[in-house]
Amino acid sequence: MLLKTDAAGGTATGAKTGKTLTHLLVKTLLHTVAASFNFRPGLKKYLKTDQGWLDFTVGIRTESGSVETAICFKNGRVSVHKAIPADCEVTLIFASDAAVRKLLGATPTEQIFMLMKSHLRTVGNQSYMNLFFFFLSLLTHKKQKKLMAGEQTASLKALQKTAPEPKTALSDELRQRNTYRMQADAIDPGVKYLADPYLSDCSLSDFPRIKEFLEVHFTKTAEVCTERPKLVTDWYKKHGFETDAGGNSWIPELRQAHAFKYLMENRAPLIRKNDLIAGTTTSKEIGVVVYPDSHGTMIWGELLTVPHRSLNPYHISRQTVDLLHTEVFPYWARRNFKEWVRDQYGSPLCQAIDERFAVYFIWKQAALSHTIPDFPKIMSRGAAGIIEEIREQLVSGNISDTRQATLEAMILCLEGLIAYGNNLARQAGAEAAAETDPNRKAELEHLAEICRQVPAYPARNLDEAVNAMWVTWVGLHMENTNAGLSLGRLDHWLQPYFEADMASLESTDARQNYIRHAIEMVACFYMRCTDHLPLTPDLTNWYFGGSSSDQAITLGGVTPDGQDAVCDMTYIFLKVTEMLSIRDPNVNARFHPGINSDAYLKRLCEVNFITAATPSMHNDVAVMTSLEEFNYAPEDLRNWSATGCVEPTLSGRHIGHTNFQMMNMVAALEMALNNGRHPLMDWKLGPDTGLVAQEDFKHFDQFFNAFCRQFRFLIEQSIEYNNMLGRAHQYIRPTPLLSSLIGDCIEKGKDVTHGGARYNSSGAACIGLADVTDSLMVIKKLVFDEKQISFAELKKAVDENFENHPALYAMATKKVPLFGSGSDEAVEMAERIAKFAHDTYGSHTNYRGGKYTAGFWSMSNHVIYGTLSGALPSGKLAGKAFTPGLTPEPNASASLLDNIRDVARLNPRNMNNNIAFNVKVVPGGGDKREAIIDRMFSYVKTYFDLGGMQMQMNVVTSETLKDAMAHPENYRNLLVRISGYNAYFVTLNSDLQKELIERAEYGV
Amino acid sequence: MKQPLILEIKGNSLDDGPGIRSVVFFKGCPLACTWCHNPESKRMGVEIGFEARTCAGCDTCMGVCPEKAISRNNPFFIDRSTCTLCFQCVDTCPSGALSRIGSSMSVAEIVSQVIRDKPFYDTSGGGVTLSGGEPAMFMDFAGELLKALKAAGIHTLIETCGLFDPDRFNNCIYPWVDVIYYDIKLIDQDAHVRHCGVSNERILNNFKALNTCARDDEISIIPRTPLIPGITDTPENIKSIAEFLSSCGVSEARLLPYHPLWQEKNCKIGISPNTGNSPEMDQWLDNRVLENCRAIFEAAGISI
Repeated sequence: MLLKTDAAGGTATGAKTGKTLTHLLVKTLLHTVAASFNFRPGLKKYLKTDQGWLDFTVGIRTESGSVETAICFKNGRVSVHKAIPADCEVTLIFASDAAVRKLLGATPTEQIFMLMKSHLRTVGNQSYMNLFFFFLSLLTHKKQKKLMAGEQTASLKALQKTAPEPKTALSDELRQRNTYRMQADAIDPGVKYLADPYLSDCSLSDFPRIKEFLEVHFTKTAEVCTERPKLVTDWYKKHGFETDAGGNSWIPELRQAHAFKYLMENRAPLIRKNDLIAGTTTSKEIGVVVYPDSHGTMIWGELLTVPHRSLNPYHISRQTVDLLHTEVFPYWARRNFKEWVRDQYGSPLCQAIDERFAVYFIWKQAALSHTIPDFPKIMSRGAAGIIEEIREQLVSGNISDTRQATLEAMILCLEGLIAYGNNLARQAGAEAAAETDPNRKAELEHLAEICRQVPAYPARNLDEAVNAMWVTWVGLHMENTNAGLSLGRLDHWLQPYFEADMASLESTDARQNYIRHAIEMVACFYMRCTDHLPLTPDLTNWYFGGSSSDQAITLGGVTPDGQDAVCDMTYIFLKVTEMLSIRDPNVNARFHPGINSDAYLKRLCEVNFITAATPSMHNDVAVMTSLEEFNYAPEDLRNWSATGCVEPTLSGRHIGHTNFQMMNMVAALEMALNNGRHPLMDWKLGPDTGLVAQEDFKHFDQFFNAFCRQFRFLIEQSIEYNNMLGRAHQYIRPTPLLSSLIGDCIEKGKDVTHGGARYNSSGAACIGLADVTDSLMVIKKLVFDEKQISFAELKKAVDENFENHPALYAMATKKVPLFGSGSDEAVEMAERIAKFAHDTYGSHTNYRGGKYTAGFWSMSNHVIYGTLSGALPSGKLAGKAFTPGLTPEPNASASLLDNIRDVARLNPRNMNNNIAFNVKVVPGGGDKREAIIDRMFSYVKTYFDLGGMQMQMNVVTSETLKDAMAHPENYRNLLVRISGYNAYFVTLNSDLQKELIERAEYGV
Repeated sequence: MKQPLILEIKGNSLDDGPGIRSVVFFKGCPLACTWCHNPESKRMGVEIGFEARTCAGCDTCMGVCPEKAISRNNPFFIDRSTCTLCFQCVDTCPSGALSRIGSSMSVAEIVSQVIRDKPFYDTSGGGVTLSGGEPAMFMDFAGELLKALKAAGIHTLIETCGLFDPDRFNNCIYPWVDVIYYDIKLIDQDAHVRHCGVSNERILNNFKALNTCARDDEISIIPRTPLIPGITDTPENIKSIAEFLSSCGVSEARLLPYHPLWQEKNCKIGISPNTGNSPEMDQWLDNRVLENCRAIFEAAGISI
């Protein structure tokens, strides 16, 4: 198939082949659709919005042209056309007639997989595609709901057939882990007040308020909230987006700031019943935030079915559907990142690749939010103090118009934040006045006082500091998509407030009570962070299954001046992490060998054991070594925090968009095996690098170079798209509030989207390191070194998914030393690939003037990219998942220690966007808790001593996971680590669940 | 120096002594316990193994076997009466289903392999365990190995059945071990002959002597009793063992619950699984039996 990126999606050759029966079928169906909308008033009303008629055309054709037709919506009339017009908004192109017929009879999930597996592709504006799907679902949603229900019952029935009886002993074991709690055997120098830093004497039952919040979290279905999209869309309609009411071009920063201020002034100031923290991200108990300026319109086609899907369903009211369809989405159909790029750059190839799902995904189409704001600044100076600082810049002499506008925009945003705080204060006061319960009345009065102080003015105590942080957090999420925006070093930043509060207390009792209060406050904060969810179209449930918004918290490590940063608040956060055992915030812990204590590391292991999946642990020294090349100031470097999943950001000073992309490295390998053609997409995409069948590869290095060339091609395409999307952010959604909280933006008078931050970079997640390494090892050893088989034979077996090649399959999987087996050669191979990725990304500069970096972790994409790839030389079969992050293959070695040693040997300097190394350990029955924790400690400590960078453990057996798959009702809070983030196992798609079950399992 | 064959070096073992350990399995044992859970370690010589579930079914081996000793009709795959152990089949087997059991390794080779995990021994209080088979059948070699391990700063432990020449043990092995795991299986001599193939007289005498001198040298010697259904786990036997240990002044011992996994290993080396007529031998040990045995030991002042 030739490359076709023409905007209208017409057949590239122009040659028309004969039309088929399928063609007639499609036309008949489209005529039915047209007639329904033309003649049924109940449907016709959907053609109109508050801005006028929805005018657009959708083309439908097959690659060969055997089907070609278009449906046109114009001025409230729907018509079917013979040919696809050149200015058609979007075209659906099917691989074949069979694919068309298959789609018509497919279940919703099957339809998603048809799209991902290239049975069809789309060319053109995706908002209109989703709008078209919405129109179709108006006709078919009842049938779709039935199909969805059918899918759900069928899969659960099949599971329960294999495991009819729940194994309650397994679920009970998990639940009872927190009943035994160890005590600390040493006290860290930074711990001033906790007698037992492990806080073993308290548990969730001491905090009825939190228990209630937790119950809501696990039982309440999230609901799509229209507050943000409605308010901002209203503002833009009135004041203009491209130009202002006077017809002058807007300076984007200023436009965003005005809209933001309007939003913050007018959104409801809500205080959750019984909460100690004021403010919410949405008007719902648990709300789904809609960002129509980023990926919001992707849900358009699913508005009617989203409550009924099996994965991650949301409530959505009929009013919400109508409002989003008629008032919000039409306004944004072209005004979003992706469509801006399509229009500005004429549907570039780099975008077309992204939209085929199998190779890479560029996150900027949804968000540029992976960073850590400067919370200490808002806590210590308040928004009013920051406004003062900005005003000083404004009067500091002659500054450009853009700089002035940028600074004024920051002020407007901070004023919006203050306005929201004031509204919360009034609300708290009003609720206090009406409250009859004296305890709650006092709490509300206290809250009113807090909100009168923060975020406008400096926080004076822990309660105010936490509230200041939360209200700011709400503001940041009103401005920026809730994807990976992260919290930073909260233990370190809150410790001064805790210490000051404790110092003011005289009696032991008062101090004991205050420690409990601090725990409760932090627990309230965690629960606040769960009040919103990202908007995920159903397809995304298979792409990023079970992910929430990944708000990373980072604990421990060293202070900016290099001292031990572990403190009372570190242990308070760990206690809360242990008690709640929830997926978000995503807790990360820094361990600095030689400075942080063993008692601290043991506590991390104990919390990991009790929660089964968190925290993720990082070697401070290795992470800092990985960042050495950037010459960051030492005090900023020591202030790094994990972002989103695992990636390092220098807190409050750095826009590192550390998850700018998910890159499937295996795609490059498949393309190298096929001279640039990607097999699943059947697309000759990359450069000619040689044909295996023609014996073009005489030496292994020739093939390795072919892989590198394909990989470089993909890297360059993805970077081009990222830079285009970066410019889309500059135009569509600069973020002045965030900019006011990132170091140097004020001094430079520059928004973060323009490189205002002190440090800039963009970080990739390269996926499939173990799979590519092992595949290259098989090629090197069997084909070139030992000459046991010809490359052509191996390629044939791979193409045939090893069917009828049992001996070759056995050799590939059993006779070649793999990464993680303790083989020097395999480690060198992995290192060689990592270095190539690092050097190639690192040779590029992003649109903000920062470097590209490479990391080796995968979120959940090792599963979907596995599904979208064929068999590999390593013996991975077609459609099977890759290993998570850079974790070795389960059969690399019988000893976990070989895995640990090999991963630790990789040079952190090639992995400056961090890694995710997953280990599944399971305690043997009857072992003492201390013994189990000692072993976990020993694995992590040794791994770090050997230079390993990051490690995350799932402490759960495959047997338990299987039971949870069949009997989800017993495991609603079973937490698992995918690759970098946490999720509830029972909310995952079945492919992800199976991948977790198949991971290697080691006794501990 | 009698050179042993090494069956396997297992890393990350959590059940063969304190901390995280590597276990070096020697091939060859003077006992012939009917329940032996490591049957491939009984014979001293090299053997050929076949693991059906690993086999790719490619039949490459049949083409290369000069004796035509391999057949799918044979439940053990290989006719070991005609097999000359030329291992041509093993060398060509792509899956590793056919394997050479037992390989010759020098002390230096073993040390260089296990020392890779030394960082884990250090953080966990672990080390290297010699097991088998019976390492004390190769006194000089085991001694050299232990000495080399100690020189590398590695904690050492030996698991023994107790049937050895005590003087040689004291000279070669004893100076280089930190912990001795010593099996006491049956007290009744006839039963020991019946189930383990030899008398236990020497084993018990060796234990008494070794226990006395270990106590003086602060070397930990820990007796272990495998609980084999109907053979060693009877109240009479357990009581007798507890009395014996008590008389030696022992205060700590281990009980090893029976598991039936060894039968599959028997198939691998061409031996029919034979558990007699005892259905308990096909199952994991009943936890209540373990608790009863523990109670008996504890009543005698021995902690488990």
